[in-house]
Amino acid sequence: MKLFKYALLAGAVALSATSAFAGESLDRVMGNKKLVIATDAEYPPQSSIDADNNLVGFDVDVGRAIAERMGVEAEFVTPGWDVITAGRWAGRWDMSVGSMTPTKERAQALDFPVVYYFTPAALVVHEKNETILQSSDASGKKIGVGVSTTYESYLKKDLVIDAEDVPEFSYIIDDADIRTYDSDVLALDDLRLGDGVRLDAAFTALPTILEAQKNGYPIKIIGPEALFMEPLAIATDKGDAEFNAKIKEAVSSLHADGTLSKISEKWYGGDLTQ
Amino acid sequence: MEILERPSIRRSFLFAGAYLVLLSFDFSNLFKDTDLALGPDMMGGLLRVAIAAAVVGNFILVNTFPHRTQLIVTWVQLFALFMYFFYSFDLSYEYIWARLPHLLGLGLKSNFLMGAALTVFICAVAIFASTILALLAALARLSSSGMALGISTFYISFFRGTPLLLQILLIYLGLPQIGVIINPIPAAIIALSLCYGAYMAEIFRAGIQAIPAGQREAAKALGLKDGQVMRLVVLPQAIRLIIPPTGNQFIAMLKDSSLVSVLGAWELMYMARTHGRAEFKYMEMLISAALIYWALSVTFEVVQSRIEKRYGKGVDVSRV
Repeated sequence: MKLFKYALLAGAVALSATSAFAGESLDRVMGNKKLVIATDAEYPPQSSIDADNNLVGFDVDVGRAIAERMGVEAEFVTPGWDVITAGRWAGRWDMSVGSMTPTKERAQALDFPVVYYFTPAALVVHEKNETILQSSDASGKKIGVGVSTTYESYLKKDLVIDAEDVPEFSYIIDDADIRTYDSDVLALDDLRLGDGVRLDAAFTALPTILEAQKNGYPIKIIGPEALFMEPLAIATDKGDAEFNAKIKEAVSSLHADGTLSKISEKWYGGDLTQ
Repeated sequence: MEILERPSIRRSFLFAGAYLVLLSFDFSNLFKDTDLALGPDMMGGLLRVAIAAAVVGNFILVNTFPHRTQLIVTWVQLFALFMYFFYSFDLSYEYIWARLPHLLGLGLKSNFLMGAALTVFICAVAIFASTILALLAALARLSSSGMALGISTFYISFFRGTPLLLQILLIYLGLPQIGVIINPIPAAIIALSLCYGAYMAEIFRAGIQAIPAGQREAAKALGLKDGQVMRLVVLPQAIRLIIPPTGNQFIAMLKDSSLVSVLGAWELMYMARTHGRAEFKYMEMLISAALIYWALSVTFEVVQSRIEKRYGKGVDVSRV
């Protein structure tokens, strides 16, 4: 019986060590007067590194704005995407502003206090392609996507987005020959090699595609422009409801006074926050 | 096999080999717009033959040079070919030039090193720590204590038997579970030290065991204690044998340090990836990083050969 008690105690200690105590993150942020924000700097225009070695992008600006609303200083760290999505941050950083889709699986490791914008998911083909005229023509073709992205889930037809106000969508591409890549941009890199060389199409976020086109990628978007709308959320470590409420409040106020729309206009050339 | 000794046969093989490699390139495009009697395909084929012949001609010519000139000419030619290969990618050199200082780490990031400077720093500390670890593990492995042997073999077995990337993630994500929260850079150094310490322990052990037992016996007969035998007689001789494979390990470590970019430490590989992504100039940054890694490795090689000479003083290498 004693052994059982100890096992229980050990279990409880292990559990408490893995998630933030209620109010703990908030106390840390307010105590240090500093909000440490994780962002993956490999995704322009959301987050990337400029010629002066500074972090720039939509997510970076949103992170700064949230810190400002909370009355604290913003500091950025750049752990790899896998490390961010693994959860159990151990207080290394307080929140992730990384255009993360709140999926059911991720919700097991992280909290998603608030959705801050939506991006359309679009299909692209090489400029020279003449067989895929609408997205449904891509059925059975070689399509490149980032690994464990919502785009891969969509093609596998098991996409479950765990957020409110997500517009309805339907699966219009059947039996895709899915090719997964370490990042979405690598799929575009393979697509640019030529029509059908390695890929017939790639499937990713519209902003990523537009940025690639701006940088001379010979690719064109196939309609409809949005196969589904992807909600993108702020993420925090599990368990601090007070901190989450504070973030939600800050984002709501950024929504209300148009700051968020303005940041969206600046980076995406359109308002994706509604 | 004697037939291969004949120059004409060797040259024919070289010609055939070069021709086969060139077959994978399409030269007919070069002649698409020209108005020649032979047609683009025929001209492409002729060009292929001409290049293959040039390769053979070059081979014959270089062979007439003295040995050292041959070496230098071959390096220059291969390097030029290599550079032409990159040149053909149509890279943006302004971009490389603008971002190069960040890759090299000229400057600071949050008051600490970054880029290649950080890579070198991580490796330097890890080299120091892994050498000590390896020496301890090797001595433990050779000691008469069963427990020391157990600890050392367990350590070596685990860290040689699991991927470095996994070790890096385990140390970074796992240690906080027991309350130890460390930053990416210390995590990187710990992982590299532990992993390479395990490999090098085996090298050290082999080096120590390679010293004939007679050396040890003679030292003991002279009245030296166990510790002195190891420190004054065995290790100085073992070091000479240990250096080349250890240098190899350090070069491997330099490149494996790129794995810590997953933690978001701003070392060379991380800078190459993020700056490459920023404006979709991935190839530019990857090639630049490759050349920087290569240059650093060459430096390591030079240092290694210096040390090798230093410890090989008493031995005539040509006769061993």
